[in-house]
Amino acid sequence: MRRLLLTAATTTAAALTLAACGTTEPAADSAKKTSGAISLTDSTGAKVTLDGPAKKVVATEWNEVESLLTLGVDPVGVADVKGYKTWDTAVPLKNEPKDIGTRGEPSMDTIASLSPDLIVASSDLPDAAVKQLRKIAPVLEIKSADASDQIGQMFTNLDLIAKATGTTDKAKTARENFEAKVAEGRKALADAKLDGTDIAFADGYVTSNQVSLRPYTDGSLIGSVNKQLGLKNAWKVKGDPAYGLGTTDVEGLTALPEDVQFAYIGNDDDKSSNPFSGQLKKNAVWTSLPFVKADKVHRLPDGIWMFGGPGSMEAYIDALVGALTK
Amino acid sequence: MAVTEAPPVTRPPAAASRTGAAAVTAALVLLVAALAVVDITQGTAAVGPGQVLKALTGQADPGDASVVIASRLPRMAAGILVGVVLGIAGAVLQAVSRNVLASPDTLAVNAGSYLALGLVGASGVSLPLLASSGVAFAGGLAAAAVVLALSGLGTGTVRLVLAGTALALGLNSVTEGLLLLFPQQTEGLYQWNQGSIGQNGFDGVLQMLPVALIGLVGLLLVARRVDALALGDDAARGLGVPVRATRVTVVVLAALLSAAAVTLAGPIGYVGLCAPALVRPLARRFRGFVRARAVLPVAGLAGAGLVLGSDVLLRALIPADTAVAVPTGVVTSLVGAVFLVVTALRLRDTAGADAPDRLRIPSRTAFLVTVTTLVAAVVGITLAGVLLGDSKLLLGDVANWVQGRAGQTVSFVLDTRVPRVLAALFAGAALALAGTLVQAVTRNPLAEPGVLGVSGGAALGAVLLVTTLPAAGSWGVAGAAFGGAALASAIVFGLSARGGYRQNRLVLVGIGMAAGSTALISLLIVLTDPFNAVKALTWLSGSTYGRTMPDVLPVALVLALGLAVAVARRTELDLVSLDEDTPRLLGLGLPRARLGFLVVGVLLAATAVASAGTIGFVGLVAPHAARALVGRRHVRVVPVAVLLGAALVGTADLLGRTVIAPAQLGAGLMTAVIGTPYFLYLLVRSRRAT
Repeated sequence: MRRLLLTAATTTAAALTLAACGTTEPAADSAKKTSGAISLTDSTGAKVTLDGPAKKVVATEWNEVESLLTLGVDPVGVADVKGYKTWDTAVPLKNEPKDIGTRGEPSMDTIASLSPDLIVASSDLPDAAVKQLRKIAPVLEIKSADASDQIGQMFTNLDLIAKATGTTDKAKTARENFEAKVAEGRKALADAKLDGTDIAFADGYVTSNQVSLRPYTDGSLIGSVNKQLGLKNAWKVKGDPAYGLGTTDVEGLTALPEDVQFAYIGNDDDKSSNPFSGQLKKNAVWTSLPFVKADKVHRLPDGIWMFGGPGSMEAYIDALVGALTK
Repeated sequence: MAVTEAPPVTRPPAAASRTGAAAVTAALVLLVAALAVVDITQGTAAVGPGQVLKALTGQADPGDASVVIASRLPRMAAGILVGVVLGIAGAVLQAVSRNVLASPDTLAVNAGSYLALGLVGASGVSLPLLASSGVAFAGGLAAAAVVLALSGLGTGTVRLVLAGTALALGLNSVTEGLLLLFPQQTEGLYQWNQGSIGQNGFDGVLQMLPVALIGLVGLLLVARRVDALALGDDAARGLGVPVRATRVTVVVLAALLSAAAVTLAGPIGYVGLCAPALVRPLARRFRGFVRARAVLPVAGLAGAGLVLGSDVLLRALIPADTAVAVPTGVVTSLVGAVFLVVTALRLRDTAGADAPDRLRIPSRTAFLVTVTTLVAAVVGITLAGVLLGDSKLLLGDVANWVQGRAGQTVSFVLDTRVPRVLAALFAGAALALAGTLVQAVTRNPLAEPGVLGVSGGAALGAVLLVTTLPAAGSWGVAGAAFGGAALASAIVFGLSARGGYRQNRLVLVGIGMAAGSTALISLLIVLTDPFNAVKALTWLSGSTYGRTMPDVLPVALVLALGLAVAVARRTELDLVSLDEDTPRLLGLGLPRARLGFLVVGVLLAATAVASAGTIGFVGLVAPHAARALVGRRHVRVVPVAVLLGAALVGTADLLGRTVIAPAQLGAGLMTAVIGTPYFLYLLVRSRRAT
C-alpha cells in the first residue's frame, strides 16, 4: 500500500513537472462585435440573446438534433451520436458531429471545446448543468414533450430553434410539409374507409422472461398524429404527463377492442426492443388476441424516432398509412 | 469480531410433538394455496374470479382462458417457485455459515447474476431463457466463489458477509454503470432488477423447474451433513462429516437455486433472508423442525408465502396498470426491511465487546511517511483532476484562471471542473470521517453510513425533494438529505439504543433501513417518473455532474466541524472504540459520547450525499485501510482516513470523467469499482495474517 502510494505520488509529480506552466489558450480575451442581435424566450421563460443567427450549434437531445437537421443546420455537437444513428434514420445526420457524451450528462468540457454559438438543451437536464452551459454560450432550453399538446410543442420547439438559427422560412416549409402529409394520410385512410379505426401503438422491451409494454396514449406524439389522421386511440391506459406513455403487460392487451389495428416500431440493432416479432410469437395470450389472429399487427420500419420531430412523424405517417391500406 | 454470529441455538425442552410440526406445515400450505388463488384473480386483463373459475373448468371463452393459462397461472407458479427456492437457498446458506445474515443477497449471488445479465443486455445479444439462466448461474456462482474464496470457507462468518456485501455493492455499481451507458439496450433492466414475477407463458417456469428440482434434491441429500455442521466444525469433523466439501456443495446448489429464481423473476430481494428467519422461532418450539430435512421445505413454504403475499398486496392496493410498473421485489424488499428491523429488536443480543483487531503498531516515522505520501497523493490527484478532462489543460492555464486572466474556454472549463473536483474531495473526506466515527462508536467493522442506512435515508430525503421541487437549491437539497439522514439514524440508533447500541442489533436495523430506503427510492422513481430512470440513477450513482461552488459549501463547512470535533475528542474516540468497560471505569458517559459522535457522523454523511450523491464504500474502506496502515489510535487514524477518502473519491471522479469521455460515470460507481478490489485485497491479507 505504502509503496503504491509512493509510486502514485512520484508519477503525479513527474507528470505535473512535464505539464508545468504551458497554456492551451492565450491569456487575454478581446471584445466582441454585435450586429443583428436576436432575442428569444425559451420554453422555461428565460430570455436568450444571440449576436446573430447561430451557425455552430450543439444539441443535447435527439428531437432537437432532428429539428436542427430539418432546418438545414448541421449540429457541431450531438449527445450519443451512435444512438441517434440507430434510432433516427428518418432524418439522418449529414455531417460527423462531435459526440458530447450521454443525453443525461453531456460533457461540459467537450461542449466548451467546440465553442458553439448556441446550445439547444433539453429541459430534462439538471438545472445546475444548464446554469453551467449558459457560461459557454447562449442556451435555448427546449421542453422535449408535453402530453397536453404534443404536436404544438414540437412546432413551438422547431420555430424557436429556427428563430435562433435564422431559418424561419425552413420551419414554415417543414410545417406546411407536415400538414400536407397529414392531410394526404388522412385522405388515404378515409378513401380506404379506415377513418375512425381503433389503433393501438406500443413498443416493448424484453428482459429475461418478462415482456413490458409501453402503450402510446393520446397524449404521446405518435398518439396525437394518429388522432390527426382520423384514427381512434384504443388505449385506455393513463399516460405520463410529459411523453404520454403508459405501462402494461401482455395481459393488458386483452383490454384492446377486437378489431384494433396494432402498430409498433422496434429496432433490429437492439434485439430486446422487439418483443412482438420475437418472444411473444409463442405466447398464448398474444396468439389468441383477435387482432393478432386477424393479422392486424403492423411492424413499421426501424429508424423512425417515436419522440422526434416533423421528419420522423412524416415517415411514420407514410409507414402507417402504407401498412393499413396495404 | 462476533458481529453477525447467530446466537447459539439453545434447544429448549420439546414443547410439542411431531404433530405440532405437521400442523404448522399444513397451515403454511393452506396459506400459500389461499394466496395463490387470490393471485390468479388479479391482473391487468378483466379476468376476475368468475372467469378464472370458468377457465379452470374449461367453460370460459378462449381469450379469458388464454389469460389464465398463459399469464395468471405462470405468474402464480413463478411466485411459488421463486419463493420456495429462495427460502430454501437462504435457509441452507444460513445453516452452513451459521450466520443469520447469509442469503443470496448478502453472498453477492444476486449481484453477480444481475451483472452477468446486464453485460449480455448491454452487448445487445438476446439469449433464449435457458442460456440466460446459464449466464446468470455463472455470474452468481462466480460471485459466490469469489466471496467464499476470499473470506475462506469455514473461517469467520463476519468476513463472509463483509466480502459478500462489498462485492455486491461493487458489482451493482458496474451494472448501474452499464445501465447509464446503454440506456436503450438495457431498458427495463433497472425495473427487472427490482424483481417481478410476471411471466411470458409457462416456458420459463417449465424450463427452470428441473434446475430447481436438481438443487432441491441435492440439498435434501446433504441435509444430514448440514445438521452436523450446526454443531460446529470440529464436532462435525468428529462425526466424520467432510466440512469443506459439504459447504462447497451447499453453496453451489444454493447458487443454482438463486440463479433459477433470478432468471425467472429478477432478484426478488430479501426473501432468502426473511423466510428462514420466519421459520427459526418454529424450530425452537417444535422439535420436528430441528432437522434440516424438515426445516428446508418449511422455509420454502414461508418464501412462497412472502412472494405471493407481496404480489397480492401490491395488486390489491394499487390500480392494475400502475401495479405492472411496480415490481414485486420492491414490496418484498420493503417487507424484508421491516422484518429485519423487527427481528433485530427481538434478537437477544449476545455479542459483547470484541477483541481489538490484531494489528502491529507502526512507528511514528511510518505514520509521518504515510501522511506525507498521502498529502502528496491528494495534491497530485487534485491537480490532475483540475488539469485532466475532455479538454486537457496546463498549469499555466490554471495560473491565468486564478488571476482572472484566463480565456473564455479555459475559464469556463475550470469554473465547472473545480467545483466538481472539490465536491469529490470533500465528499470523500467527509464520508471517510463519518465512517471512522461510526466504526469507533459501534466497534463494528461493517458499520458505515451506507450500511447503517444513513446514506440511504439522506438519498431518499434528497430524491423526495428533487422529484417534488425540481428547482430546489443546494442548501435545500442538503437540508432534505440531512432530514432524511436524521430520520433514518433516529430510527436506527433509537431502536438500537436500548442496551447502548449493541452491535448485532445496530447493524441488522441499519441494513433493514438501507434496504427499505433503497426500495422506497425505487418505488418513488417508478411511480413519479418511470421513463426517466436514467435521471434518478445519475443522481443516485454519486455524480459530481453539474456541481457549483455553492453546492460544495455545506459539505466543506460540516467537514471542518467534524474534523474539529474528531481532533478535540480523539482520546474519547480511542476509549469508545476500545470496549464497553474501560470508558465506564474512567467515568466517561458512554451513551452520551456515542450519541455526540453519531450526530456528527450523520451530518457528515448527509452533506456528502447532498453534494455528490450516494457514494458507498469510502466510509467502509478508508477507516479500515487507515487502521491497517497506522494502527488504531485516532490521532493517527483520523487524518489518514480523511486523506484516503479524499484521494479515493477524487481518483474515482477523475477516472469517471476521463476514461470513457465524453461520456461519464458517477464518482460513486467508480469508487465502488476501485474500492471493491482493494477491500477484497484487505480481506485476503487479513486472512493470511491470522
